[in-house]
Parts: sequence; C-alpha cells; structure tokens
Amino acid sequence: MARDTEVLVLGGGSTGCGIARDLAMRGLEVTLVERGNLTDGTTGRMHGLLHSGGRYAVSDQASATECIEENEVLREIAGHCVEETGGLFVQRPEDSDDYFRQKLEGCRECGIPARVLSGSEAREVEPYLADDIKRAIEVPDGAVDPFRLCVANAIDAETYGARIETHAEVIDLLRDGDDIYGVEVRHDSGPGKRTHATSGTTEEITAEYVVNATGAWAGQIGAMADLEIAVRPSKGVMTIMNVRQVDTVINRCHPKGDADIIVPHETTAILGTTDEEVDDPDDYPEEQWEVDQMIDTLSELVPILKEARTIRSFWGVRPLYEPPGTGTQDPTDITRDFFLLDHADRDGVTGMSSIVGGKFTTYRMMAEQISDHVCEKLGVTATCATADEPLPGSENIATLEAGMDDFGLRSPVARRSRQRLGSRAREVLETDEPNPVICQCEGVTRAEIKDAIAQSGTDLNAVRIRTRASMGNCQGGFCCQPMANELHPEYDEKMVREALDELFQERWKGERHALWGEQLSQAMLNYALHATTMNRDHDPASATSTVDFAAFDDGRAERDRIDGIRGGR
Amino acid sequence: MSDAQQPTDDGGPGDDDFEPIQVFPEAEEMDLRPGADNCYKCSTCDTNCPVAEVDDEFPGPKFQGPEQWRLKRQDDHDIDDSVMKCSNCMRCDSACPSEVPLSQMHNTARAEYVEENMSKLSREYWRNRMLANYRRLAPLGSMFPRTTNFMMGLSATQWLGEKLLGITGQREFPEFATETFREWWTARGGAQVENADKRIAYFHGCYANYNTPEVAKALVRVYEHFGYEIMVPNQHCSGTPMFANGMLEDARRSAETNVRELAWALEDGADIIASCSSCSMSLRQEYPELFDFEGTEEVAANTWDAVEYLRVHEDLEGELEGTSVGDKFDDFAYHAPCHARNQGLDGQTVEVLDAIDGITAHDVGDSCSGISGTYGWKKENYETSMKIGSEMFEHMEDADATSGLTECPTCSMQMEHGTGYEITHTLEVLEAALVGPAEADGQ
Repeated sequence: MARDTEVLVLGGGSTGCGIARDLAMRGLEVTLVERGNLTDGTTGRMHGLLHSGGRYAVSDQASATECIEENEVLREIAGHCVEETGGLFVQRPEDSDDYFRQKLEGCRECGIPARVLSGSEAREVEPYLADDIKRAIEVPDGAVDPFRLCVANAIDAETYGARIETHAEVIDLLRDGDDIYGVEVRHDSGPGKRTHATSGTTEEITAEYVVNATGAWAGQIGAMADLEIAVRPSKGVMTIMNVRQVDTVINRCHPKGDADIIVPHETTAILGTTDEEVDDPDDYPEEQWEVDQMIDTLSELVPILKEARTIRSFWGVRPLYEPPGTGTQDPTDITRDFFLLDHADRDGVTGMSSIVGGKFTTYRMMAEQISDHVCEKLGVTATCATADEPLPGSENIATLEAGMDDFGLRSPVARRSRQRLGSRAREVLETDEPNPVICQCEGVTRAEIKDAIAQSGTDLNAVRIRTRASMGNCQGGFCCQPMANELHPEYDEKMVREALDELFQERWKGERHALWGEQLSQAMLNYALHATTMNRDHDPASATSTVDFAAFDDGRAERDRIDGIRGGR
Repeated sequence: MSDAQQPTDDGGPGDDDFEPIQVFPEAEEMDLRPGADNCYKCSTCDTNCPVAEVDDEFPGPKFQGPEQWRLKRQDDHDIDDSVMKCSNCMRCDSACPSEVPLSQMHNTARAEYVEENMSKLSREYWRNRMLANYRRLAPLGSMFPRTTNFMMGLSATQWLGEKLLGITGQREFPEFATETFREWWTARGGAQVENADKRIAYFHGCYANYNTPEVAKALVRVYEHFGYEIMVPNQHCSGTPMFANGMLEDARRSAETNVRELAWALEDGADIIASCSSCSMSLRQEYPELFDFEGTEEVAANTWDAVEYLRVHEDLEGELEGTSVGDKFDDFAYHAPCHARNQGLDGQTVEVLDAIDGITAHDVGDSCSGISGTYGWKKENYETSMKIGSEMFEHMEDADATSGLTECPTCSMQMEHGTGYEITHTLEVLEAALVGPAEADGQ
C-alpha cells in the first residue's frame, strides 16, 4: 500500500525536530506533526542550560560524558543558539567538602574541563555572588535558546524536503491488527501555515514508520493504540528574572535538591527548579509557594535575587521514564537517560517506536540513535551527518561576528539581532524599508518580525519564539499590538485580532505568577494601556452584534446644543 | 595547619602569591542592569526629555538608560553613540515615577562609550576633554585676564575654535574676571566672622571663582550677615562637565580631592554650601552614584544649595521682609535651572524674592534652557541647544522684565545669548537687599 510518507514523527520538541532533520538529511521522506507550536511541550519550558555534564559528574557519569560531547558539538553546529557563558558549581559554607572533591574528580573523569576558583575569584567573575561562597568549580556550561535551536532544526528538515505541520493534534493512531500505519490529526486551521479564524480540518497521514517523540505525552499517544507507556511526568517550576544578575551559569555544588541553578538567558536569568511527579502533563497545580521557595533558596547563592524583579514563572514537565519494575520513589532519582521502546519487541505491535526520558543537551545524539533504528527498520543505509552540518543561522559564525554590520540600527539592537539571527542576519535585516524597533525590551525590529511571520503565518506565538519579541519586561504590554499590526494587510482584521488575543493571553499566563512589586506595576500599566487606549476591556468591535457607527457623531450635535443655549441667553 | 587544610580563599597574612583583586570596580565596569528592574516603560522620562523633544534622532532616556542596560551582557561594550546627544540635564531622574537611576546609567554608559568606542585621537575627544576640564584652562586665562578676554573676543579666535575644535563660533566666550574670588578672599584676609556654632564650607566651583566672583562675594556677605563663619576649602571642579562628556576618570580625580577636602570641613563642624546648582547636584547625587571614596555619602548628605540652606536654618524671608534693592535691580525673568529643579528647588527663588519690596521674579516656566553646560558649546549641538532654549527665550521676552535671573552659570550664558538681557544670580539680589549696595561696593 502506498503511504503518504516514509517516516511520521509525532511531536515538535527538540527530539522530534532533531529526528526529522536527521532523517530528512539522510534522504528519507519525513512528516512531523505537533499539536501546538514547535517547542510547546517540554522543550519550550526548560531553563536553557547547555549542560557541560558537571551536574551528572558524580551521580551519572555516562550521562555526564554524553553531555560534554554534545555540548562541544552544539557549540559548533548551533553557534547562534548557544552562548558560551561558562558555569560555576559554588560551595556554600554548609555544603560538604567531600562532595566538592567528588564533583571535581567526577568532572575530570568524564573529560569535563574543570578548575577550582577561590571565593574571591568566583566573586570577581560574578560580583553578585554571596560573600560567604567558599569556592567554586568552573566548567564549560552554556546557555542555549531552545526555541531557536528547535526551529532551526525544523527549518533545515524542511529544506531537506520534510513536511512540518504545527497545530496538528494527533486524535487517533491508525492501527490495522498488529501494525500501526499512521495517524489521524486535527488541523487547527490547516494544513500548512496557521491562519487564525479559519476552520480546521482532519487528515489521515499514513506512514511506513511512526516515531512517537511526544515526551511526557507519549503515554497518551500510546493509549490510542492500546499500548501502555508508563511515563512518569514530573513538573518543575522556573522563574524568569527581569535582568541578568549573573552572566555565568550558577549551580549549587551539593548532591541534589530543588532550586539550585541560575542560568543567564538572553536578557534575563532563569531560576530553576523543582521536581515533583504529576498525573497529567496538561493539568497540574501551579503554586505560588513553589516560586517563593525557589527565590528564597537561590538568594543564598545570589542575595540580590531576593529584591530583584521577576517577570514571569512557568512550569515544565519532564518526560521521565524507567523500565517497568524499577520502582524509584523520588522522581529526582529517576535516570535522565532516554529509552527507545520498539513496540514490535515490547508489545508485538509493528510500525512504531516511542522515545521517552532523555534531556535537551543530548537531543541530537538521541535523534541520531533513533534515526539509526528507523533506518534499520526501513532497510536504509544512509548515515548521520547532523554532528557536522551547521544549522541554518550557524554557518560561518566566526566570520560573521568579525563583520559587525549594524544595518542602520542602534548598536545594542544590532548586536542582539545579529546574535539571534546568526548567519541569517544580513538576509533578514538588510532592507530598504524603514525598520523600526517593534519590541523595545528585546530590541526586535520590524524586519525580523516580518521574517518570522513569513515562516509561521498568523501565529504570533511562533513569531515570539523565533524573535523573542514580547518576552521582555513589559511581557508584550507595549509590543503585542504592533506585532499583530504587522500581519495586516496580508491577513484581515478578524484574524489579526484573534492572533493578538492569543499572544496576549499567553503572555498573561506566565506573568500572573509575578504579580508583586515592579511587575505588578507593569501589569497595571499594561492593563491601562490596553483598556483605555485600545478599548480592549470593552471593545464594541469584538461584540457579536454589529456596531452602529452612525450613532457616533463628530460632536457637532452637542456643540450645536451648547451654541443654542449661549445664543438664547 | 597543613597545606591541605589551607583555605584557597583570600589568603592569610604573608600570602605573597595572592593577587589582590580590585576592591572598588571602575565606574565603567559598574553593572547597572538591576536598575532596569524599576522601569515599567511608562515613557514619562521620554516625554520630559528636552533633547528628544527637538531631535527626532535622539532615542530618549528610556532607551539610553534601562533598555540599553538591560540588553547588555557583562562583556558588551558597544554603547550606542546616541548617548553623546544626551545633555545631562537630568530631568529624566525627576520625571521617573519609579526611581530608575537614569542619569547614573547615562553617566556610566557615556563613560564606557568614551573609553571603548571614541578614538582618543579624534578632534571630538580632545575638544570634549578640553571643555570638560575648563578648570585646568581657566587659571591660564585668568593669569592675564584682559589679554585673554581680548583674544577670545576676536572673531578670528572664534572662527578657529569652530574650525579646529568644533566649538561653536555663535557664542561669545565668558570673560575672565580681573581678580578671582580666591585672590579676593586671600587679599581680604579670609573669614571676617568667627563662629564655632555656625560654620559653612563654601564650594564656589570654577565659574564663580574665575568668571563671576561677584556671585561668590555676594554669598560671603550674605552668610556673614547671618553670622556664619565661612571656610573656603581647596577644591577642584565638581565634575559636572566631566560626567557630561564621559570623562569619568577625570571626574574621579576631581571628586577624590573634593570629597577629601570637604570631609575635613565636615569634621570641623561645617555644612557644605554651593552657589552653583550643578555643583550642588554633583556633590549630592552624582558622587554617591558613581564613586565610593570614604566620606562620599557624608559629603552628599551635608551639601546644600546656598538659598535653600538659609531658608531652612534662618528666617530668610522674615529677614528680607521690608528690604529693598533700590535702583540696583528691577523685575526679573527667572529661569529655574534643571539641576535646581532636580533638587526640588525650582520654587524657592520666586518665593524668596517676593519678600523684597519693589521687585518681582517672574518664573518663565519649566522648560530647559538648552545649553546644559558644555553641551550647547559644541558645534554639532548648537542648533539643538537653541531649539530647546526657544521656549525659554520666548517666555523671557513675554515676561514683564528686562533682565534675567538664575543660579546656573551656563543657563545664564544661554539666557543672555538668546535675549541679550543682563543676567543676575539670586545671591547678588539677596546681597543687595540684606547688605546694601554701598557696603558691598565698599569692600
């Protein structure tokens, strides 16, 4: 039977996009479906740490070794998504010397470059570190933008012929006896680029092989074909600070615990995290005390955090998995290794494998191993090239940085734009049109917004993850509307309004966890702006009934009335 | 203690290998990113910025301050060149409803720009360095004041200044006094009142010393009238023109001298009084924001504007009640300098003069004069400076007065330049009312 595609990948996170790129580069025909935007699941809800492996150097040396290998690969192939910040494992007076020594030895055993800094040397690197930090181990941790990385993988997969469908939710697995041969998806407005205010359709997509890369949602997908996949979703909270209090990744050097990492991320710093098992990856409590406790604990490392402004908090769900019968109680003890479940071997059902577990830093290596497995199943002999081929945006990064063209932009805006776009900077920013800054907090210009819209239709959240527009301190209060404005006239008013509402709602979702101090003032100002200048608290244009515009006059009737009174005196 | 137990931190005494880290970071390395936390982008600063109002190319204080700082990584030093268009009037500081340290951000960014991005060989750098260090050139000028004034007044000199240095030829250089204030003070035999209970240290600044000693003398007579013992400590430039030109290292050297000398005066029981509103602004706000010499905070906390101090510690208005200035002065068009405004002093002069019979100070509104120290002296800023000042000029001409009044030397230059009025300092009026012109002239 002829199939629509050779391989169908479910899930548009780092794993799914990595697999799609890998297989497409090997010449396979690939389709990827994702229920929301790319990165909507766990990938877009991580702290952005590019592991050096230091975190696992004592507890899980195999993972640590993989991390340092992949860390080095990503610096090469994804330079425009990676910031080489370096990282510190800092020791407080109450933290064990013995563990510090184990950490240092562990790093060296795993090939992770590690160097001990005295307390004052560490404070010289990071002036806001607490005065009583005893010493630190310096490792090559980095910061990575998961959005850009994931999108770059998807774009490159498309370049190699893959079909990437976002906003296409899997509603059924197609199973014929003991063979899975595809899925049925519900397109939000598709197929193709998303267009708001356009009714959806369903589509059956058949494939020779299906890869279930839905992470924490793998169990739900499996259940559609009566397969049991015991993922143990575990939630963790992350809080985004308004500015970078640190420019180096700060880890606490202790065996394990909540709230022990600060990652500088673009203009912000992200605090992480906690680890608590949940039943449903789509429905779990998000509680304020989790945020408060994390800020308190991390203030022991960087005291200024206590008074600092947070702009939002978010929760992510880890796709933890352990083989049946392991029975680990504490989710922090569950391995971070990944598992490839071939349902043919495991359940006697052919045509599909599921990936569970794993971590972001090693996404490429996981994708390589899974792609090898898929190729073996399909009898394809092509080999993996993803470790050597730079992602779009990361070609010739070194030469680019030497160029330093400012494209007529103010220098910090030009610098940030170049960093985000990498080797695509010239293609995107060189324009004869006026190129005003649309998002002032993050320094995003109209040209960059338009480039993102060209990739993703009316989906402003997709524009957001590509550009960082609306991710700064006003959380979109000032720029959501100008962003939406760029959709017009290609898209009509109704579509633009819906797109704007969706983005603004998404911003509010995280900002509501930061409503005290300065961010509360920000939220009030945002509200006032949108309510009073755009009438968005009571907009007649959004009502279902049509507006009687004739009822609004130019004030002449009232003027005539007043003039009449004056004349009569 | 064995070697193994020797803590790696901080080293003990005799630990010669230990390389000490710099205890106080250089100002250009100050990390002001956390200051951006206070900004919720309301843009009130932008709407109060006099430069943004007349120059569409200037992005305004919100960009210069919190936005630019927030976009910075520790190692980024490419400050946008628009920071040199900021006139350092510091209105944004007062306008901000949320305590964003705007002028501190501008001063630090400007210093970083000059350090990292401006060629040390450029004409702009040397012109700015010269303007900023007026205090170093002034003693040369005032050595032969008449010759200097003659030379500076020549149109050939002005033409050369514009062509060679980029100093506008539109303005006339201020004249040097034939006797500096400090020369007068020494000749006079110093303080004529001794009073251990009421003592002030006078920070006259450069302009009142070299160019308008009549202002400094007026301060001396007014304060002696109230029974104060006056000290005139050694002093350097307050730093205002250096901050405004990004010459933070020059400012640091000056500030170090000033803080040391003024801190000694504080120990002698004196309060610090300035007659120039930019000098008092600098000591009170910019020093603690940018430097941390010992005594900086104490000096800042005990520095006062000359009129403000008398209003708080004496019954100034009561003393002025029923006085007059005779024919010496008539009604004034009064301009409150931005730096006085920032200290909350914008209303005091009108109120104080109200007590004197026969004269009135007409407030010409809250616009900026536009000159902002050295800013309006630069060829490239002259036009902007005059555009900003146009509102003040108009209001001065509309006011029922034919002479001007202010407390800032450069505002005074601008007022004179734009209207041709003679400009007086408030202390000179108080002197005339309290001490009388005859007595004053007699000294």
